[in-house]
Amino acid sequence: MKVVSREIEMIAWFKKTDMPVPVKFRIESESKNSTIKIDKVIQAVEEKLAGNRMYVYRCQSIIGDRERIYELKYEIGTCKWFLFKI
Amino acid sequence: MDRIIFHIDVNSAYLSWEAVYRLQHGSLTDLRTLSSAIGGDEKSRHGIILAKSEIAKKYGIKTGESLREAKSKCPEIMLIPPNYRLYMKCSNAFYEILCEYSSLVQRYSVDECFLDYTDSQALYGDPLEAAYSIKERVKKELGFTVNIGISSKKLLAKMASELEKPDKVHTIFEHEIKEKMWPLPIEELFMVGRRTAPKLRGLGIKTIGDLAKYDRELIRIHLKSFGEMIWNYANGIDSSTVKKEESIQKGIGNSTTISYDVTDRKEAHLVLLSLTEMVSMRLREADMLTKVISVSVKNFGFSTYSHQRKLPGPTDCTMVIYENVTQLFDQVWKGEPIRHLGVHLTDLCGKEFYQISIFDKNDRERQMQADRVMDALRKKYGNDTLVRSSFINSGIRPIRGGVGEDNYQMMSSLL
Repeated sequence: MKVVSREIEMIAWFKKTDMPVPVKFRIESESKNSTIKIDKVIQAVEEKLAGNRMYVYRCQSIIGDRERIYELKYEIGTCKWFLFKI
Repeated sequence: MDRIIFHIDVNSAYLSWEAVYRLQHGSLTDLRTLSSAIGGDEKSRHGIILAKSEIAKKYGIKTGESLREAKSKCPEIMLIPPNYRLYMKCSNAFYEILCEYSSLVQRYSVDECFLDYTDSQALYGDPLEAAYSIKERVKKELGFTVNIGISSKKLLAKMASELEKPDKVHTIFEHEIKEKMWPLPIEELFMVGRRTAPKLRGLGIKTIGDLAKYDRELIRIHLKSFGEMIWNYANGIDSSTVKKEESIQKGIGNSTTISYDVTDRKEAHLVLLSLTEMVSMRLREADMLTKVISVSVKNFGFSTYSHQRKLPGPTDCTMVIYENVTQLFDQVWKGEPIRHLGVHLTDLCGKEFYQISIFDKNDRERQMQADRVMDALRKKYGNDTLVRSSFINSGIRPIRGGVGEDNYQMMSSLL
């Protein structure tokens, strides 16, 4: 996985307890926009680096008929989602 | 029983915090591994180095020097403007972790805390092990490194945390003073800065040990009570305790570097007014009155002087303070270009009663009422809601001073 750290548009599921669950996201690139459905959240942890709280999700999806593992981040202070590593 | 005190100090705080924040947001390089420094905006000349990386340190870059000096030593240095909001966040997270280890934690500044470990030994065991576990936890959870000094006194703990950096734990207990503290150059002693050090060196005092062995009476003759204090420090004598609550405020002050050299008296007065607005607002916020007003001036050659005055009666009125500030400034200013101005209020007292003076001007009561209204409006709608008309078209910010972060923990010279 390589660090890309790109802001993404996300549809997430906010449950009554626990951290939000990412459902699908859209990533914009010059050529096209693609929507990726999150098939499985493998691991979710909270990160407090520099006192800045973020939820880090390791996820798995089929992207262009290949199964890929990648990392998403949700920054609590700004409510922003990032595709962090892929 | 002797107490066990930790002093926990973040290694190049501003820089590591910025570095960790950038890494968290996907930066591929760690600022700590480059020649980099945190320093103000070069254009508006708010430019001194606030923190630097270890690599920048090797180029001889020092905290407090101007950006220009830093650039001349290392032209490729990466300069990053400060972000006080982030620092406060880091500092809070850091403080929260420490609070898990003791009920007595004192925030000494934004990046330093004292922790009284005496009563935590039953819970967390050996102090040294606990210190290592704190250090590792901060590194793992928050991403930055700290130095921890352990001793039975606050002063010695602070000295210990300064020994070798970064990411280390040191002790200076009383029996270790001779071996670990005395060989250090005198500049390393707490409260000995670039003003005192040359004076001490002039007396033949080169190391902390020299000062410790010096005659106490002689040092008192040279440096008054301050000399006695640092002599005590050199001998590891310090009776201060870890205070949980913010100690009582001794003074309020703000200062600012102006983006150009001010040569005009009127303009200088305007800058002083904008500082006075800030300072007196803070004074009223703290519910205090001041008895001593002082003004400090730093000129284009970086030399600083100040002037102060004791008031006949305590006050918190912006205009009274401002009148004194301008008089003080006029008395002391030598007419050269000014780079930096400051207004400080000390000898604060409570507001329980207020002595009216027959020398007060008649409109004092009304001015104080106006102050109250202005404070309320500014608090509710922001500082720009109401400004004095003298600032219109002056190009000078109507209220200035401070880091723009209200709860920011400032450094103090009191242990």
